[in-house]
Amino acid sequence: MPSVDKSGGVGGPSSPPTSSPSRPLRPSRYIPVSAATAFLVGATTLFFCFTCPWLSEQFSMAIPVYNGVVFLFVLANFCMATFMDPGIFPRAEEDEDKEDDFRAPLYKTVEIRGIQVRMKWCATCRFYRPPRCSHCSVCDNCVEDFDHHCPWVNNCIGRRNYRYFFLFLLSLTAHIMAVFGFGLLFILYHKQKLDHVHSAVTMAVMCVAGLFFIPVAGLTGFHIVLVARGRTTNEQVTGKFRGGVNPFTNGCWRNVTHVLCSSQAPRYVGRWRKPQTVVVQPPFLRPQLSDTQMGGKVLDNGIQADRHSSRSSLDMMESQSADAEPPPPPKPELRYPGLNRGQMSLGPTEESSLLSEAPPTPTMYKYRPSYSSPGKNHTALTHSNKMIRGDSLKEPPSILQSSQQPSYRSEPSLDGREGQRERGDRERGGGGSGGMSSVPSSGISGYSLGGRSYPSFTDPMVLSGGASRSSSLRSTHTAHNALGTLHSEGTTSTSYKSLANQTPRNGSLSYDSLLTPSESPEFESAAPDAPPQVLGYSSPFLSAQIAHQRESELHQASAALLTSPQKSYVRASSPPPVEREREHLLPDSHQMPQQHSRPPRFSRPPLLSDSQPFSYRARSLGSPDAPQTPVSPSAVPAGSSHPPLGKSLSYTSAATELQYRSRPPEGAGSGGGIQAPKDEIQMKSFSRMNGHLRSSHPPLPPSSPPHSVSPSSRHGPANHITPPVSPTHKPGGAVKKVTGVGGTTYEISV
Amino acid sequence: ALPHLPALWSNTRKTHSLQDLRQQASIAAKVFVQRDYTTGTICQFQTKFPSELETRIDKQQFEETIRTLNNLYAEAEKLGGRSYLEGCLACVTAYTIFLCMETHYEKVLKKIAKYIQEQNDKIYAPRGLLLTDPIERGLRVVEITIFEDQSNGRIEGR
Repeated sequence: MPSVDKSGGVGGPSSPPTSSPSRPLRPSRYIPVSAATAFLVGATTLFFCFTCPWLSEQFSMAIPVYNGVVFLFVLANFCMATFMDPGIFPRAEEDEDKEDDFRAPLYKTVEIRGIQVRMKWCATCRFYRPPRCSHCSVCDNCVEDFDHHCPWVNNCIGRRNYRYFFLFLLSLTAHIMAVFGFGLLFILYHKQKLDHVHSAVTMAVMCVAGLFFIPVAGLTGFHIVLVARGRTTNEQVTGKFRGGVNPFTNGCWRNVTHVLCSSQAPRYVGRWRKPQTVVVQPPFLRPQLSDTQMGGKVLDNGIQADRHSSRSSLDMMESQSADAEPPPPPKPELRYPGLNRGQMSLGPTEESSLLSEAPPTPTMYKYRPSYSSPGKNHTALTHSNKMIRGDSLKEPPSILQSSQQPSYRSEPSLDGREGQRERGDRERGGGGSGGMSSVPSSGISGYSLGGRSYPSFTDPMVLSGGASRSSSLRSTHTAHNALGTLHSEGTTSTSYKSLANQTPRNGSLSYDSLLTPSESPEFESAAPDAPPQVLGYSSPFLSAQIAHQRESELHQASAALLTSPQKSYVRASSPPPVEREREHLLPDSHQMPQQHSRPPRFSRPPLLSDSQPFSYRARSLGSPDAPQTPVSPSAVPAGSSHPPLGKSLSYTSAATELQYRSRPPEGAGSGGGIQAPKDEIQMKSFSRMNGHLRSSHPPLPPSSPPHSVSPSSRHGPANHITPPVSPTHKPGGAVKKVTGVGGTTYEISV
Repeated sequence: ALPHLPALWSNTRKTHSLQDLRQQASIAAKVFVQRDYTTGTICQFQTKFPSELETRIDKQQFEETIRTLNNLYAEAEKLGGRSYLEGCLACVTAYTIFLCMETHYEKVLKKIAKYIQEQNDKIYAPRGLLLTDPIERGLRVVEITIFEDQSNGRIEGR
């Protein structure tokens, strides 16, 4: 067999340096593969020794030759499937992740053939997982085109070795059938000599063959269907494309040829790297700079592209047939349009009309001068630039606070907010934003607008926007909520990579992990620790106001959180106060858009009122789908266009918050029942959500089913809200982000 | 944490001799050109011109490089008669053929490495840039290292 590089393979504790760090020796990992090898080799050897001689004499030599060839094929494919590197991604280098963890979103959305797919941040490997990539917790590696982790070969099945695994299944089925068939033939001719050793052995071999035939044939049939449909086991089991469109399929014939006939994919780890021979020395050549080139710079290459693609695909998304799976609809896309709206509506009333017509960039440009001190602006803007992607914390608090304190619109508040925001960023990284002790989902509230990679949506804009109380705010709020929910979906519980990186839990789709959910309990325990951290971060500007505000909001938030849409949850916790709170909070949520300028980050609780859906999102840290869940009947659901995947609905609100703060989304999936694939495929299939939610949760813990009911009910209204959002925002595809003085980012449509 | 790797396998761009370090300019920033997934999971990189390179290289040149890389990767992943025959041969020989023969993909990867080396030598290094073969990053990004232009004291970067 060709030498293959497999991290943590049968070698035991010592693992190749290029893959993961050495893992503890777990002998239990080798039991299935040893058993499988023993049965395969042992039974076949017995067959060849006891059955074949008589068969070859009686009938022809072709029988053992045929069986030998098939067995050799089985062994070859088995070895390749076992020892070949499935397509492990090397860990990203540190400078690749130079974007601040605190501000980077958990999810990045990319459009594949018109379908939004979410790429999740892998805390262990330090990159956004490519589509179809998943992190295997057994092997502790991200694997390309992750299919599943097969215990029988003790290896992940991914892009590079799927073909061998598939052929192994096919050949093993043929081999079992041949052994059983020829054994039966032998027995039929030896009915009178059944007490002979040969007959007894043949019968034993037939029993083993018959025993293994059913599961192997079943698995083979399953994979034949998967290959024909162009899906991976991971995608099939998690129901990603249920009723939806699979962007990775090219038709049955092409799918089959891709699996069987494509060239062997290359290894990524353990490659020979040539030493760098190019010497780079100044002076350097410079291109001729034209005036058009002088200007701001695009904030982030990838994000920019994603944003553009996501924006342009927004309309496309709208028209996508409902499908599938839960993964929250492309929040970022919706986010942008909502943001624009928000910006437009949040701004001074006199400008709102202008804003509504103008493209987003000019709007923000307009708002910039209204910011407070330049120094503050600078810090705020620079922060906002970076926070583009993950400023969820900022958004929600402002919304809530705005609803709480309509009058809070003074300059100092803006400054304070900015200062707060900065701190909030740090805080976020540290321990989940606004971790109000009493509000388990405070972390979640941060999600509402989190993960938004809208660079130009800076804090100042929000602040200035908050001042106005135009009626359009309501719609904006809806949009915001929609966006927020969308974002929260994308960012799931933790909108920031920093939080994800704190706990390197990797949810991998392996059959073992499916059977042993172990995630939930940990979240519970994490909750108590979270709250104390938050309060310490209040900025000097807002300390008095915010602290006071927050406490009140905390109470409300906690209530709101409990009351959230997941009725099953709520009832479990504290139904009576929740009901009251919810009533109280619902009106507030409508006022939120107006109050954007509230000191935001710290006041997580305020967000809870309208970020109830967020709470679900937080819970669904592990499962990509969960986040968008069920939003309370308030305006928020309307905005949320993300179908609550509901996979992680089994967490309590406290647990959810904990997930947000301290647990990486991976592995946080609903009790580990099904580790939702890290890459979400966002489909806008609100109508399908109901079906999807329910059907996608069979492996989930018993508590999940009730949750799934509530989310599904939410999607209906959400569906209506979404369309209005998109038309307002039409990315021309030529929006240039310019960094101006003080770090403000403007979007200028080119 | 990244595992510690021996020098030959090291991820660092810098050479190891002191003299070389003195000669090599210092790294100012790195740009990562991400994958372009709009047409599926085939290996394509975004041709969008990163803003950080605006003052260092012509847009056309950059796009030309990326497009050529995309074409090469498309050729590597092409489902043609050649790859099919390779698969059949491997099957027939119980995959022992992989011990002696180089797969089609690997051959194209060698071509790509050569192309990148040539581009670095001719175009990017004189401009204070350095392309990294994306295979070192798992074909996820094309890493472009921007070196500090000490002659005029400007430092590029985010």
